[in-house]
Parts: sequence; structure tokens; C-alpha cells
Amino acid sequence: MARKKSKKRASAGIVGFCCNYTVSVEPEMLKERGLVPEDVAFKRLPCTGRLEVPAILDAFTEGAEAVFVAGCQIDECHNLSGSKRAAKRVQYARKILEELGLQPERLEMVFVPRGESEPIVEAARELKMRLSTMEGRS
Amino acid sequence: MIIAERKSMNEILDMLDGVKKLLVLGCRGCVAVCSAGGDKEVEIMASAIRLGKKLAGEPIKIEATTYIRQCDPEYIEPLKKEGKKYDAVLSMACGVGVNFIADLCPGVKVLPGVNTTFYGANLSSGEWKEMCAGCGSCVLHLTGGLCPVARCAKRLSNGPCGGSQGGRCEIHPDTPCVWHFIHERLQEQGEADRLKEIMPIRDWSPAGDAGPRRRVREDLLP
Repeated sequence: MARKKSKKRASAGIVGFCCNYTVSVEPEMLKERGLVPEDVAFKRLPCTGRLEVPAILDAFTEGAEAVFVAGCQIDECHNLSGSKRAAKRVQYARKILEELGLQPERLEMVFVPRGESEPIVEAARELKMRLSTMEGRS
Repeated sequence: MIIAERKSMNEILDMLDGVKKLLVLGCRGCVAVCSAGGDKEVEIMASAIRLGKKLAGEPIKIEATTYIRQCDPEYIEPLKKEGKKYDAVLSMACGVGVNFIADLCPGVKVLPGVNTTFYGANLSSGEWKEMCAGCGSCVLHLTGGLCPVARCAKRLSNGPCGGSQGGRCEIHPDTPCVWHFIHERLQEQGEADRLKEIMPIRDWSPAGDAGPRRRVREDLLP
């Protein structure tokens, strides 16, 4: 049975799940300095390995247009395999998004060297740019 | 254990058309062990349905819980009453659980959240393989413990077939030929002579071709 086409999604920006070791500066400072778009909401976790698939999906349900997960570099995770686990969950969540008719490109995993903010800034900007090209696609 | 896999979200959302109050019901039996329908998968399913329904602009109220098993009446008992509070119950158990709820809980609309696939073993995290076909007439004592019913593409009783090459199956070349293994195993065990005996034509009547199978043990009946 064909379901109704999605309605236009309310724009609620980008949610970034970041592990404690990848966001070394206060996220608000990144916004104040104009480094990341205003509509990026950061959610800090002790480790991205703690992030479960429902939290990612719920972020979209609560209105996020895109989500990124920033974990330690794959071989340098503070908790050994946390970011590796997170990457697998992101992969599974992308599959579910696709089945639901949302572009999986709305969800991204980034691996960040400890103490560097630049990859997070880049991820936020890249997702913002992706969203602008996706407009009207779903 | 019984192996199952999540149905596609498209199929799930299609069957939930018009449902406004839903219970996602997991099972802590086999489907929890094979990561298809335990507590974790129930939470994922509930979140995915919430998102899918939101995208479709259809309101839904979802509750989620997991029973110890869905194949024993004592665990299903609460659902007889509780289940009627929902437009539908999406069971994440195997087909046994869905059927049992349908049998025991009249007035409860039960839907399957997973496809029940086979009886298998856990090869490694995230990988399962069929090992038993539940055919009702076990011959593992004759085949070195390796099942030709579940693991031979042609279900041969006297193998291998002419297509077995280099220990691989001709139907699925990435699959080892179980009859090749059976020969090797029996030789290792000094029972190679057993292979000279022709296994008689198989009696498939215990395999379920005559309707649902049933087993009764008088000594355990109440």
C-alpha cells in the first residue's frame, strides 16, 4: 500500500552528538565565533559508544534536519572501541532512515583527533551545505 | 535457536496504516539472542515507527515492553487484557509468538515485526547459519553430526551429488558441501564403511507436511 508522501520537515537544524574527548571547547563558543551555524545543537556524551540507534532516530523525530556523531579517531578511542561501535550504529541508523524515505546523507559519523574542534566545525558546515542541496528532494 | 530478522520499515508502516495506539512487544527468548526482537530491538523499532509516522504526518502513541517469552501461556496472560487497549500489538517474537498471541488473546490485533527464518547457530557476532531443519526425523548419528537436510541445498540422503566440486556446493559455491564434510568426518571417526550403506528413501511425514505438528507427554500434563 502506498503511504502518504512526507510533509515538508520543520527546520530544526543539526544535532551533533559529540564524545567528551572530541569537544574540547564549549560548543557555544564555536557559535559565538561564527564557526558553526546557529542552529547546530550539541549533545555531549561520555563516549559515542554509549550512543544507541533510538537516540539518533529520536533526534530526527524531534525535528532535526541532519545529525552528526563525532567520536575519537578509530584507533585512539579513549574507551578503546567506543567510536567503532558508534560508527556501526550510525551505519544501521542510516539504513533505517533510507527505509523510511529519508536521505541517509542526513546522518554522518566523523572521527576527530583529541582536542581538535576543526573537524566538528567542518562536519556541521558540510551537513548544512548538504541540507541546502537536498531541499525539495524529500 | 530460532533466527529472525526485522521486517523492512516500509512493510511495517504499511501494516500499521490507521493504527493510532500501538504496543511494540519484544521477546527475551531466541529473538533477543539473535538481536532481532529483544529489548534493544524493540526500542529501535519504536523509535523508527515514531519517525516514520511523523514523516507521514500520522499521529501515533507507542508503548514498548518485552516479555520473557511469547511461546508460553503464563507470560502472555497479561496481554489478554492489556492488548485490548491498543489498536495493534507489533510482536517482535518469532512466528510462534505471533500465532500464540492470536490464539490466546481474542480481540487483540497482533502483527509480525520480524520474519522468522531458520533454526541456526551463532557463527560470530552478527552472523548466523542454518543447522537444523526441524524435519522431525533426525539422522545425525549416521552423518557424523552434520545435517544433510538443513545444510545440503538438495537435501540429499546419499551424497554428495555430482555437482560437488572441491568441497563446495554447486548451487551456492560460497557454501561448503556438507556431504563432503560428512565423508571426511566419518573417515576421521573410522566409520567410512557407513557410507557404503544406502540411506532409505526419507519419510517426510514427520516434517510437517500434514499440518501442524504436535507433541504430547502424558507424564507432564497437568
